[in-house]
Amino acid sequence: MRATLFFRASCATCAFACGLAASARANPLDAFGFGSRQTAMAGAVSADVHDFSANYYNPAGLALAQRMELSIGYMNVDQSLKINGLDSGVDPVRGLVGGLVAPGVIAGIPFAFGFAIHLPDDRLSRVRAEQQDQPRWELYDNRNQRLYLAASLAVSPWPWLQLGGGLSFMSSTTGSINISGQLDIFQSDDSQVRHSVDADLTAIRYPEFGARITPTKDWAVAVVYRGQFSLSLDLNATLQGNISSLTTAYYDLQTTSVNNFLPQQVVLGNSWEPVKGLHASFDLTWVNWSAYVPPVSDVNVVLNIPAPKGGWPAGITPPTTPAPTAILPIVMHDRIVPRVGVEWRAFHADHWEGFVRGGYEYDKTPIGAQTGETNYIDRDRHAFSLGLGGRAVDLIPELPRDLRLDVHAQLSELPTGTTLKASPADFIGDYTAGGHIWNVGVTLTAGF
Amino acid sequence: MRARVLLAPAAMALLVLSCATLGDEGPEGLNLPTSGVGPFRKLADDEVLGIAPYVLDGAGAKYREPSALALDADPSSARVALYVTATQNIKGVIHTAIMRTHADDARSFYGTSLDPTDGDAPALVLDAGAAWEEGNLHSPSVLRVGGVIYLYYAAAGGIGVATSTDGLTFTKRATPVLATDAPLTWETTPPTQPSVAVFPSGVWHMFYAAANSIGEATSPDGLTWTRADANPATPAIDPVFSPLPFDVTTLAPDASPPFDSGQVADPYVSPRVTAAGRLQVRVLYTGYDTLPGAASRQSAIGFAARYGDSGPLVRNATPVYSVGLHEAAPTLFEWSVGTMLYVNQDSSTTPVYPSIAAAIAPVTVTLNMPKTYATSP
Repeated sequence: MRATLFFRASCATCAFACGLAASARANPLDAFGFGSRQTAMAGAVSADVHDFSANYYNPAGLALAQRMELSIGYMNVDQSLKINGLDSGVDPVRGLVGGLVAPGVIAGIPFAFGFAIHLPDDRLSRVRAEQQDQPRWELYDNRNQRLYLAASLAVSPWPWLQLGGGLSFMSSTTGSINISGQLDIFQSDDSQVRHSVDADLTAIRYPEFGARITPTKDWAVAVVYRGQFSLSLDLNATLQGNISSLTTAYYDLQTTSVNNFLPQQVVLGNSWEPVKGLHASFDLTWVNWSAYVPPVSDVNVVLNIPAPKGGWPAGITPPTTPAPTAILPIVMHDRIVPRVGVEWRAFHADHWEGFVRGGYEYDKTPIGAQTGETNYIDRDRHAFSLGLGGRAVDLIPELPRDLRLDVHAQLSELPTGTTLKASPADFIGDYTAGGHIWNVGVTLTAGF
Repeated sequence: MRARVLLAPAAMALLVLSCATLGDEGPEGLNLPTSGVGPFRKLADDEVLGIAPYVLDGAGAKYREPSALALDADPSSARVALYVTATQNIKGVIHTAIMRTHADDARSFYGTSLDPTDGDAPALVLDAGAAWEEGNLHSPSVLRVGGVIYLYYAAAGGIGVATSTDGLTFTKRATPVLATDAPLTWETTPPTQPSVAVFPSGVWHMFYAAANSIGEATSPDGLTWTRADANPATPAIDPVFSPLPFDVTTLAPDASPPFDSGQVADPYVSPRVTAAGRLQVRVLYTGYDTLPGAASRQSAIGFAARYGDSGPLVRNATPVYSVGLHEAAPTLFEWSVGTMLYVNQDSSTTPVYPSIAAAIAPVTVTLNMPKTYATSP
């Protein structure tokens, strides 16, 4: 009966997903997973997670932790993405992953605190606001180059219900630069300018909530909400200069851009243990891509250079105010991402357990056809995952009580597709794009 | 004991954490696709010998209307020849003729006046002689087909052609290959400023200027030409490209009219097959903001194109090169580093005269400082 119910639920969600198609590549975790066990199961773990990665997949899962756990790991993602058969040089994503879970009991109610971090090797965050016609792998290039930091709390008021919530943190940048001085247009070496910079990194928090219900002993369902955030970059520049004692020029520049936009997401998941030692999971993630804000700078310039008395010297034509940026809209579609994961306890002994895992994820690109001037490149993605895990429990007194080592490998295939430009006079022209991405990693967890 | 075991991995984790964040900037967009026709950036002072962006200069010769010819089949080679219109004074007769020079690095051309070597000058390769030429040749367009170099040029009576095997000694055909066609309503002036390419189908295509528009002709052999009709739906033969009509009353305050609203001229055709397998006929041209003869006339280099062997061209509203120095007559040299654009534009000296300037695309490409000028034309 339960098997039939699970089967029907999975079939229904599969059909729904295939009809609407999918994508959820908003940050390194959305794109490549978090933790080796979870990545090996293609991220289909919202109803089956209880370690540090629950901070991302489902905070409610933290309440399932039996003991304090500390996890540390590493992931390395090499992206071989090509345009016209040539590598686009998309940066790898690599860095430490880790976190902790600290469970406890208050008034007889189990609770847990969790903390998780993805710390990139190369940079904490990167700002790239390209020209909107410059081709770029929109969901793989800049968006995944950032820190992830989250803290969560979870409770289990009843054994069949876990609730959790947390906050993730980022910072946006607001700054200004002021330049003033003397500009000598006849002898530029005599120009003298002074400048000052005032920049502010302001904290941005976005929420995540989750619930997990176990209708039966071997079946769990989950629902998770991840909030939306915009990582903005606002810069103002003011230039005031006395030009060769002829006149005073004023130049005011304001740029506003959203460097990273994470759309809100809702995850529905379930996990089933049909036989002892075998877990099957299926997640659907709705991603609100239609609210996407492209990372293009909105630039406004005011240039005021009054003519000197008697007019400009011969041969000197003052510049005029450039036209403001006309940002072309990007067409994005909401998507639903299906994920399937399986975990099999391949062997077990008194103090040992070994696991084999696999998963599949399908991301249909949310980006509309790039037939016009913009070139936000993306392709559908098929991600195949495999993983192994080992667990030692109470092996020897000198080791932590529960020691787990998990490894994963994931191959994402982006089939090559062709973009046809509507205008033959397009500066970029037709192109083909596709490629693959390798993601490997390891996670060590110690429970005390 | 367990506390110690707890501290050990925590300390290890902190140590590893402290070693992270050691990355570099990372590349930004390698091997990006492009149509190969700009936008272009004029060469900088540290990219040319002499005064940037000029690569061929002569106050007396007034080099202009360049046409580039790759000298090697190897796409990584920067050896290129330029055929230019030059003013000549032979026995007191001032007229225009076609001269040739070359560079080994796409920039340092033999015979420029900025070369300190005395006596150097581009080679005279084609001069007027036939009656229909009326003493002046100009607007060269050169291409290599098989082992033969075809040099098309304009004169008073239309467009002629000469052929060569070494690029220096040419044999002219006696009569123009494209002359005035009186019944054509839009060609109110003789055809001029030719640009010729052989399309993948094997058909020769010539784009040429007349009046204020650009027309097209086709040929099976490069010698016998038939005008093409851009719009077969009308009874007349139509040009493939005309100035963009606009209504001045609809112009926004402080807005300028389209850069090519007065005249389009100096076509340069370069066909290619796109990554999707479509034939893209790329045409660079000079766009003027007013009609011929108007005072304070401004120009810029534009880009128009079409898919397929026939039909009208579609413009890109943004010029690919615009410096406000009466830039005109574009030609391209495509090599593995990027695409070089050569135009004639006002010199940086007083009095002003036309000189050949160079620009490059993609704009992110930077060139090393050249070492020496070429030593032969």
